[in-house]
Amino acid sequence: MKTIIYTCPYVPAEWIAAHGLRPSRIILSAVSSAGSITRAEGVCPYVRAFIDEATTEKRACGVVMTTVCDQMRRAFDILVRKCNLPVFLMNVPNTWQSVAAQKLYLDELKRLGRFLIQLAGKSFSQDKLSQVMLEYDTVRACILAARGHLTSRQYAEVIAAFGRDGPGTRPDNAEGARPPIAGVPLAIVGGPLMKQSFDIFDIVEQSGGRIVLDATETGERGMCAPFDRRRFRDDPLMELANAYFGGIQDASRRPNNELYKWLDHELVSRGVRGIIFHRYLWCDMWHAELWRLKDWVDLPVLDIDIGGDNETYQHRTPNRIRAFLEMLQ
Amino acid sequence: MSDMPRQITLEEWDQRYEQLQKAGLHQPSYGGPLSRHVGDGDKRLLKLRYDNSAAALRLWNFLLTEEDRLHEARNKGKRLVGTMKDLGTVPVMAYSFDNLAAFYPDGAWWIPCMMELDAGLLEIADSLGIDESFCPVRAMLGAFVTGAHFPIPELLTCSVGATCDDFSAIAQRLNGLGYPILWWEVPHRRSGEPGETTVKLPGGFSAPKCQVEFVKSELERLKTALEELAGQHLDEEKLSAGIKKANQVRTYLAEIRQLAFTAELCPMPALEMLIAEMLAIHFCSDQDETIEVLRELLGEIKTRVQAGKGVLGADAARIFWVNPVADLQVMNLLEDCGGRICGTEYLFSHALDTIPEDLRPVEALAQMVLADPMVGSSADRAERICADVRRFGAEAVLISRIPGASHCALEGEVISEIVQTELDIPVLEIEVPPVTDSMRPTLRTRAEALVETIKARRKR
Ligand code: SF4
Ligand code: SF4
Repeated sequence: MKTIIYTCPYVPAEWIAAHGLRPSRIILSAVSSAGSITRAEGVCPYVRAFIDEATTEKRACGVVMTTVCDQMRRAFDILVRKCNLPVFLMNVPNTWQSVAAQKLYLDELKRLGRFLIQLAGKSFSQDKLSQVMLEYDTVRACILAARGHLTSRQYAEVIAAFGRDGPGTRPDNAEGARPPIAGVPLAIVGGPLMKQSFDIFDIVEQSGGRIVLDATETGERGMCAPFDRRRFRDDPLMELANAYFGGIQDASRRPNNELYKWLDHELVSRGVRGIIFHRYLWCDMWHAELWRLKDWVDLPVLDIDIGGDNETYQHRTPNRIRAFLEMLQ
Repeated sequence: MSDMPRQITLEEWDQRYEQLQKAGLHQPSYGGPLSRHVGDGDKRLLKLRYDNSAAALRLWNFLLTEEDRLHEARNKGKRLVGTMKDLGTVPVMAYSFDNLAAFYPDGAWWIPCMMELDAGLLEIADSLGIDESFCPVRAMLGAFVTGAHFPIPELLTCSVGATCDDFSAIAQRLNGLGYPILWWEVPHRRSGEPGETTVKLPGGFSAPKCQVEFVKSELERLKTALEELAGQHLDEEKLSAGIKKANQVRTYLAEIRQLAFTAELCPMPALEMLIAEMLAIHFCSDQDETIEVLRELLGEIKTRVQAGKGVLGADAARIFWVNPVADLQVMNLLEDCGGRICGTEYLFSHALDTIPEDLRPVEALAQMVLADPMVGSSADRAERICADVRRFGAEAVLISRIPGASHCALEGEVISEIVQTELDIPVLEIEVPPVTDSMRPTLRTRAEALVETIKARRKR
């Protein structure tokens, strides 16, 4: 089956799958140099890694990007010139409260659908969409329910694998599932993680903590809301749009107060005692939230700024996490 | 002192001012010697060089008294609107009301330069977590906190969507500090797809009709908010009159640009041209006076061109400038190095295009929003740059990167490639922070190298 690669949580995997294509929400690998662009300075390492991945990707038949942040929007300009695959830029509004913004998102899904039909070579059916949504929703619920039975890294990896490989991934398939260990409960909050950042879960555990809330884009925060089974039978596409556009809270939304409401609920219900704030150098969206979060939350916040280089991953980040946990214990 | 056009220092302007006064200079209420603004803390003025015309004096005085005008407007009972990020559209709507005055808090961008970092605005931004990895517009946060550079407006609007991350993030930080903001969405301009109706936009880009319709609905939302603030209804007639007035500004600017960029001898220096162009987006808080200021400037330029007089040598290298500079002194520097500006794209070319008067007014404004070069792809922007380079006969393109700006990191690559492929002219990228003093030798060397390259190519 032909594969479509993407990273943005506002791209519904179900929509791609319903068009007979294989959605793969990829987890990127950091590139330490400028990679496929002429200069790295000023470019978010995640964007750099995305450009690199899309330009070297061999198995996919198309790339989907969104306008959620300006750097990704500009990365699209680079990819249409450098990437051999067809690339689609989906307009995801930053505002969300108006009916017009919600309709724009829905219209963009339909436009994405036309792009997918061209790639798949066949049209899609509403029944197929309902069936795919049901399948994804079931596995998603299963994954969420498994949180208490997996280590935080396993849990994060199951979510990532679900995005990358689809509903074939079930938590009971997680390799060597082991029960979570006790430790100072922490949350990790921020944009998407790259492969190298998954080590953070282990570092936290080795240092006497445990991530009980993965509020990164690649974690729970980037998962859509559960579908309303009654509503989706009548109008699956509308329900899909509601669950994604209305259900995922992000720093890029204007205003983004719903992100804080969501965080408030999750931090309290999971007894979080400290926050690891994960952001990339040159990412304005998340960087600007750091101090707001610090002002807002009554918990210690550790700022981990990722430059995408090995030094950050191998030395600076582990040392800082260890020191943070020492302080909390 | 002769009346020959030339660039003079602030000190020289004081003498020139006395001379002009003796000769019966007529000045508006905000007139006076330029050097008095240094007392307000605008120390950078001491290091700039200015055009020596009375028209330039009026332009500078107009620019440097905006804050007073805003306070005066409020004292007279006008309500203030801070129109953030969208460049050139919401003010047209706001000035269609007789009891609203609009301004761009974004203009705080230049305060660190003008006050040579003394205002402490960047430090305040730092303390709020908005450090130098953001564009200099972060000074706006400090200006809100101190309340010292503009009155806090009754209504704040901010366009988001297809905008830079810097502004969007900073405005959200401001919102988080308790300033309510009316957010409105501008979608990324895309090409029409097969079967879609497209609209040709002012300036040459096109967009699908559905995007124009979407922006129209957003502008209607803004119009309602402005009506509530003004306590007045904005009917089509009033808005059309507002558009006409904005077009008067744009028409003068089009003539000014055409003459200044194409005349054999450069009739007006780059710095004054930059300030004049900026009037198109914010009217410096007085639309009527903007028209008068530009009328006088155009008159001066016409006189000089007709007399074959200019401020720079005839062999000055003709350079097209992309992006505004955070340090105004760099415009002087380019001229010192033997260059002259022949075309600009300061992020708001669309605000220099005439707003269609044969459409319903909200539709016309929606088209202008989508005509913004920053709302679409960098390739679109590059195409517009190429078209203007041809139109003004520039010999090179200089892209001045804005430190921290989310668009600058990647767009330069695309613009350079397209310009070089289509026009085969040199492209130089430099980065300009708010105060360039410490890097002046490097900037000078790079600008001189560009000028030399241009001159060497002439001999080919
Ligand atoms: S991490 Fe930030 S800058 Fe990078 S892609 Fe995500 S939102 Fe954009
Ligand atoms: S200069 Fe660029 S980054 Fe800064 S506010 Fe303007 S558009 Fe945004």
